Amino acid sequence: MFDPKLKEALGRVQKPGRYTGGEPGSVYKDKNNVDVRFAFCFPDTYEVGMSFLGEKILYELLNSHENWWCERAFMPWLDMKAEMERLQLPLYTMESKDPLTDFDAVGFTLQYELSYTNILAMLDLAGIPFYSKDRDGSWPLIVAGGPCACNAEPIADFFDVIQLGEGENQLPGICAEIEKAKKEGGVSKKELLLRIAKIPGVYIPAFYDVTYQEDGRIEAITPNESGIPAKITKAIIKDLNEFTPPTNFVVPMVGAIQDRASIEVLRGCVRGCRFCQAGFLYRPMRQRDANLLNKAAQELCSNTGYEELSLSSLSTSDHGQLEELLDDLNEWAPKEHVSLSLPSLRVDNFSESLIEKTTKVRKSGLTFAAEAGTQRLRNVINKNVTWDEIEKTCRIAFKGGYSSVKLYFMMGLPTETLEDIEGIAETAQKVVDLYYSMDHAKGRGVQVTISCACFVPKPHTPFQFVPMDTAETLQAKQKHLLESVHSRKIKVNYHDSTTSFLEGVFAKGDRRLAPVILEAYKRGCYFDGWEECFKYDTWMQVFEDLGVDPRFYCQRPIGLDEVTPWSHMDYGITHDFLVREYNKALAAQTTKPCNRACSGCGANHLLGGPCFDYSQNLV
Amino acid sequence: MITVRISFKKKNEASYISLLDMQRVMQRVLKRSGLPVWHTLGFNPHIYMTFACPLSLGQESECECVDVKTEAEAPDFAQWKEALNAIMPAGIEVYNVEPMQMKADLIAYACYEISYPADAAPVLAQYNALESVPVEKKSKRKTKTVELKEYVPALELHEAGEWVHFPICLPASQDLTLNPSLLVAFLEEKFGLPAANANILRTKFLTADKKAFA
Repeated sequence: MFDPKLKEALGRVQKPGRYTGGEPGSVYKDKNNVDVRFAFCFPDTYEVGMSFLGEKILYELLNSHENWWCERAFMPWLDMKAEMERLQLPLYTMESKDPLTDFDAVGFTLQYELSYTNILAMLDLAGIPFYSKDRDGSWPLIVAGGPCACNAEPIADFFDVIQLGEGENQLPGICAEIEKAKKEGGVSKKELLLRIAKIPGVYIPAFYDVTYQEDGRIEAITPNESGIPAKITKAIIKDLNEFTPPTNFVVPMVGAIQDRASIEVLRGCVRGCRFCQAGFLYRPMRQRDANLLNKAAQELCSNTGYEELSLSSLSTSDHGQLEELLDDLNEWAPKEHVSLSLPSLRVDNFSESLIEKTTKVRKSGLTFAAEAGTQRLRNVINKNVTWDEIEKTCRIAFKGGYSSVKLYFMMGLPTETLEDIEGIAETAQKVVDLYYSMDHAKGRGVQVTISCACFVPKPHTPFQFVPMDTAETLQAKQKHLLESVHSRKIKVNYHDSTTSFLEGVFAKGDRRLAPVILEAYKRGCYFDGWEECFKYDTWMQVFEDLGVDPRFYCQRPIGLDEVTPWSHMDYGITHDFLVREYNKALAAQTTKPCNRACSGCGANHLLGGPCFDYSQNLV
Repeated sequence: MITVRISFKKKNEASYISLLDMQRVMQRVLKRSGLPVWHTLGFNPHIYMTFACPLSLGQESECECVDVKTEAEAPDFAQWKEALNAIMPAGIEVYNVEPMQMKADLIAYACYEISYPADAAPVLAQYNALESVPVEKKSKRKTKTVELKEYVPALELHEAGEWVHFPICLPASQDLTLNPSLLVAFLEEKFGLPAANANILRTKFLTADKKAFA
């Protein structure tokens, strides 16, 4: 039987299976025989965290070291959090059920700005002091990685170590230093951090000082220890084929959101959409060999029992050997009752044979990211998709038997006018009209869903210089969109502009936001990404009480020569390139995908040579 | 084609897997095992399985079973057991695999062992003095009152270290099924014993004439 306190808590909460572990594929080791214990924390619910591929990659990688044990922890939902506080149950990992304080390192993944308060809640539940400076060597090392590490300044003071870039080599490197220091004995926290700082892509916030100008802008960011670089260059895996995608997953028993086998076919993206942070952070695009992917996929399906396999990446149809890979997968998948899904298809290279190869077993809805409603604005954001391509794709899809199409758009994009908003409704209407102009099953209507997100300018993109639309402007645009839709076949979903505002503040924020985030947490803000938990008024009150103006961070144009909070983070993209792309955006000029023509972003230096063999005829 | 009964224990972590989730877990485990189980025909073929008598979330069991079908000739059931145990989630242990003997609808009673922290013993003893124990049984359509004393006249308490245990036997047929949580909820309401502190373990099934179900 479990610890009676835990059992009592489990007896009182919804979906207790989220807190018990023991899923097939989870790794158990004898803690007395391991040298390094790592707690991989996902600062959101189990259902969200178990859908995250990065955790599966690092879980398998760390646990492949016999003497290291990587376990998982998640943010308990409101009811469980309350029970744990009432019963004084510290936050524990799913495997050993040991509290986080028993670990050598506690790692958080930074996937989303609005999960920052959950990190504080998890530290608090574990009884770990918030600020790095308040933790001596007796506490676990608190580390972070993931996309938001590209400007984790608002929460940098809480972390001992932040990892920029890809973790496959970096995280084992950190664990190796911890193991070495433990075996030596008597290594101070500072000495350990100095050693870890030598690992590529590692950023130790305490080793940098930030000074500010009188008007609030940053004056300089400078290292305060010798041997610490002025700029940290992200870690990168040059050849993805050296790392087979994970072939074992912990298979959740309580419905995760993404509950399927998934293999990462490529990393990075060639497209260069100017709003897309991931498209810049993960440059250059590198793909895995079709043969390796096919083998890994088959192994993964047989190890997990999953009946659905997803080929994941930022843009799966850009894989040079996709058709070949699908043919290989279709050799065995139908026989083993495994269906294939491609989550990130592009409208411009979607072919009839592709649709046929992915729907052998099961058919679901189609989703396309058009992103903007007019060609002009699509050129501004460098989403090089034309209406003709959208039409061609929908024609193929409708012919293939699909009758529901979801179109993704953003509003609040730079240079956007109300005409562009009307273009969103017009695009959807044209898709509806197309359906009815074609042969379709009698009595079967079409459903077009417009899903409209608020554009949040992000660091390391050409739009980092742009102010974000105010909530009032966004709401007016949302209203205008609703008024522009005239068909019941079109459904409109849009995102809450207040959460996007806070996301914008944290995305481009600096270290002066740490006390704000901590105070907001103390006043009951967590699960900010969940509409039912988001307390906008509390947040605004905290900003006011602490004398911090949130608009300073996201609703102010940033000068092209300004020292940004993230100017010491090097993701391989040069500042000149971002400025060049920004100016081209304002002129509505497009840039070719990297595999067609190099636009000189600088990321090729990360590989030590050209990213693509341009002598070959590429897709 | 024969029907094969896989009997298993469902304890600890596994007691928090709901019936709906259990079906998916078992589907995947069977698929992973590579055992020659029969798939339904149709557009989305899936492994044919039936569970007897669903167990409530949080309750443990020593006598769960799932029936599957196989077209294999002379299957090696010892190997089935081994293959399944190698990949089951924590808390599930297959203890027997053999051709089905009795159909699941022959189950008439389910027996349980209920445990409380030892200091609950004097309070539990008060149950035995009660004349009547009316509890409300809610179903989808209606709520009816059931006299629990009819099925559980007295609690036979056995103290063992930090725990006090007692066995009960409740109807589990298509006509009437009583969940032991009715008793546990009554004990909380009447005597203030927190239901969350009780451990409920299903120990066996009986047929209408109180013979062991197999």
